Parts: sequence; C-alpha cells; structure tokens
Amino acid sequence: MEHKTLKAQGLVKAYGKKQVLHGINIEFRPGCIYGLIGRNGAGKTTLLGCLTGQLRPTGGQVLYGEDLVWENAKALENICFSREMSTTFFAGPNTYKIRDYMRAARAYYPGWDEEYAQKLVAEFGLNVKKQISKLSKGMLSMVTIVLALASRAPVTILDEPVAGLDVVARQRFYDLLLEDFEQTGRTFVVSTHILDEASPIFEEVVVLDEGNIIAMDNTDHLLSVLHQVSGLEDEVDAAVEGMELISSRKTGRSKTVVVRCEESLLQRAVAGRPVDASRLNLQNAFIALTGHKEDSHDQK
Amino acid sequence: MNGMLNEQTSIYLQIAQMMENDILRGIYQEEEQVPSTNELARQFRINPATAAKGVNLLVEEGILYKKRGIGMFVSTGAVAAIRQKRKAAFYEDYVKTLVNEAKNLHIDKAELLEMIGKAQSEG
Repeated sequence: MEHKTLKAQGLVKAYGKKQVLHGINIEFRPGCIYGLIGRNGAGKTTLLGCLTGQLRPTGGQVLYGEDLVWENAKALENICFSREMSTTFFAGPNTYKIRDYMRAARAYYPGWDEEYAQKLVAEFGLNVKKQISKLSKGMLSMVTIVLALASRAPVTILDEPVAGLDVVARQRFYDLLLEDFEQTGRTFVVSTHILDEASPIFEEVVVLDEGNIIAMDNTDHLLSVLHQVSGLEDEVDAAVEGMELISSRKTGRSKTVVVRCEESLLQRAVAGRPVDASRLNLQNAFIALTGHKEDSHDQK
Repeated sequence: MNGMLNEQTSIYLQIAQMMENDILRGIYQEEEQVPSTNELARQFRINPATAAKGVNLLVEEGILYKKRGIGMFVSTGAVAAIRQKRKAAFYEDYVKTLVNEAKNLHIDKAELLEMIGKAQSEG
C-alpha cells in the first residue's frame, strides 16, 4: 500500500454552537511516529475523528495524499483509528466479542495481518470469545493495540493505547510499536497522558490546547528550546529579559520561569549569573505550555 | 551499551556518548561492528531516528564508519580521536565548572590547586 501524507488544512469542528477545533493545520508525513498530547477536553479525540473520516469537519479539509478523506472509502482503508473502547454500547452493555471486532477489522483493512493479530492476542493472553463488556480497562487497551497493529494501515492512530495498562504491559507496547515500525516504517500517531516514558518513542510531538495546536516540533528540539530558570527574582528577570516567557511562579524571594529560546542563547544569558537553568522533561514542558497559570503568558 | 538515559541532555547526544564510552572501555574495539540503529532503538526504547542521529554524529566525526550493506564499524584511530575530542571539552565542561563552584565556596587558587594535587596523588 502506498504511504502518503495525512493532513488537515484549516480544520474547524463545532458541535452546535460550541467550536472544539479552531482551524487546525497539521501534516503527518510517512514513516514517522507522532505523539499527540493535550489535556482532557483539549479536542484530541475530535481531531483524530476528523482526521480519520469518522467526524465531518465543520470547516477546512482533511486530505490523504491529494484526496479528501470524508466519505472516501479508498483513502480511509489506509488509515486506522483504534479508539478507546467502551464496555457499554448505547444504553446497554457492549455484547460484541473481541473476535467480532477482529472480523470487522479484517474485512475493513486490506492490509490486515491475521497471523500477527493472533500472535498479539496470544501474547496479551486475550480470550477472543470474551464480550467487550466483560473486559477490564487494561484488556480493552490491549484489544485496541491488537486492532491497530494488525491493521498494518499506512497511517495508524492509537488513542490512549496504554490507559489502564501496568508498567510492564506499557513497556511491552512500546517494544511492539518499535518492532512494527522497524519492519513497516508506517506512520503512527499515538495520544497519551503518560508522557515521560513515551517521549523518547516520539520523533515528533504535537501539543493540542483548547482546540489549537500550540506546539508541533521534533521532540528533542522542543525540549532543547524550553528551559527552566530559577533563583532570586531580580537575577532571574535579568537573565531571561527579552525571552519568550511560557510560565512563571514565585515563592518568597525565589522565582522559577520557563522560557523558550535556543539553547546557546540561554547558556550565554545565564553564564556567570547565580541562577539555575535546566531542561524540562516532556511532562514538565507540557505543564508549562498548557497549565495556564495565573501569572503566565501563553504565546504561540 | 547499558547506560541509563537522563533528561538533561538530548537523547541522541547521550547515545553518541555511551557509544564513545564503550569504545574507550574496549567493549567495541577498532574495526569491530557496533549495534545497528534499530538495535539501539529497541534497547533504549527510543525512536530509531534519534538513535540514527546519535550514530551519524559519530560517523561525521570519523569515529564510526559505514560498511555498505553490513553495518557500522569502529574506525581505526577512534580511541585516540575520542580522547582528543574529550580533552578539548574537558576545559569547558569540567575545569570551568570546578573554578566556578570554587568561587561560590570562596576557595582560593592556592587551596584549589592543593586539592587537585591531593586528588591526583590519591587517584
């Protein structure tokens, strides 16, 4: 199957009068693992729904290569969106079995790899005859992982694949993801709230905040331009003067700020000053970018 | 390669550094093959592009070289090249930091030199 770029241009999504996505521009190029991060309610699942033709955009467009994805079965068979599963279905319990989902996926995705699916099912110790309503949170995640990986779709999107998994199972998921990526080189988009352990897996990271993309960068580059500087208030203010302020916090005489600037610039600015400068990990970078602290500025 | 990754330096730089450490320690000797980027990616659970960036840094510096279709190898003279490079960084990374901290603690030059002499004779 051909691997193409999935992109959204000026994507707007509203539910009634409430606008959830405010004009998103984004590109997912072939052969890259993307992390999509955002707080609850930021619009992640809505964005993924629009990207995969499950939700109709209110404005703008979503393209796979040159083709619109909305109601385009030919384009959509290249894109797998493995959603978080629910144990309920409309009003009642979800009585479908794991194997029903696998059968549906087999029919839908031309690249479906049944042997691989069976291998994953065995590895996770899933019983395919079990009803979805009877599964634990962790098992539901395992099912979404099986469906996503075995789809072998050129663009595979996993929404919260590690929710409810214990640390060993999560590590196993990252191993499987890297193993698959090594073999297929397909595009993965993974949304997660467990940032630090996933951060080294993501080549690129997209930060969604209140329906806008506030950062979209190579993960390592993003982390190399965000710096935490702390010390005596006047010294900190003098050191970071003129830099883009992301967040700031005061405790007595001490002040801690997060700024965005090139690493070399920061090194020069703090050299010889009695302040501490350090990098942030992805989790702390995310908190600074989306925390909306009282005296913080959020700039694009 | 068995190190742990930290969060204060770019991962690709850490990969390059760990590879250099292993070459200095003789874990990988000159003209021997080193792990592939995919092996490194799996071992450290990092993106293969990041592992490749670390390896390519060492290729650019002539510490590793690529044998087409086989993999990456340690160059002849790699050990000497790594030592040379680290000596250059030693002043910036260690000596300046040392002097700076000495200043914070009001340790004067004579006392600092005496401490260095002591540490050398103990080491």
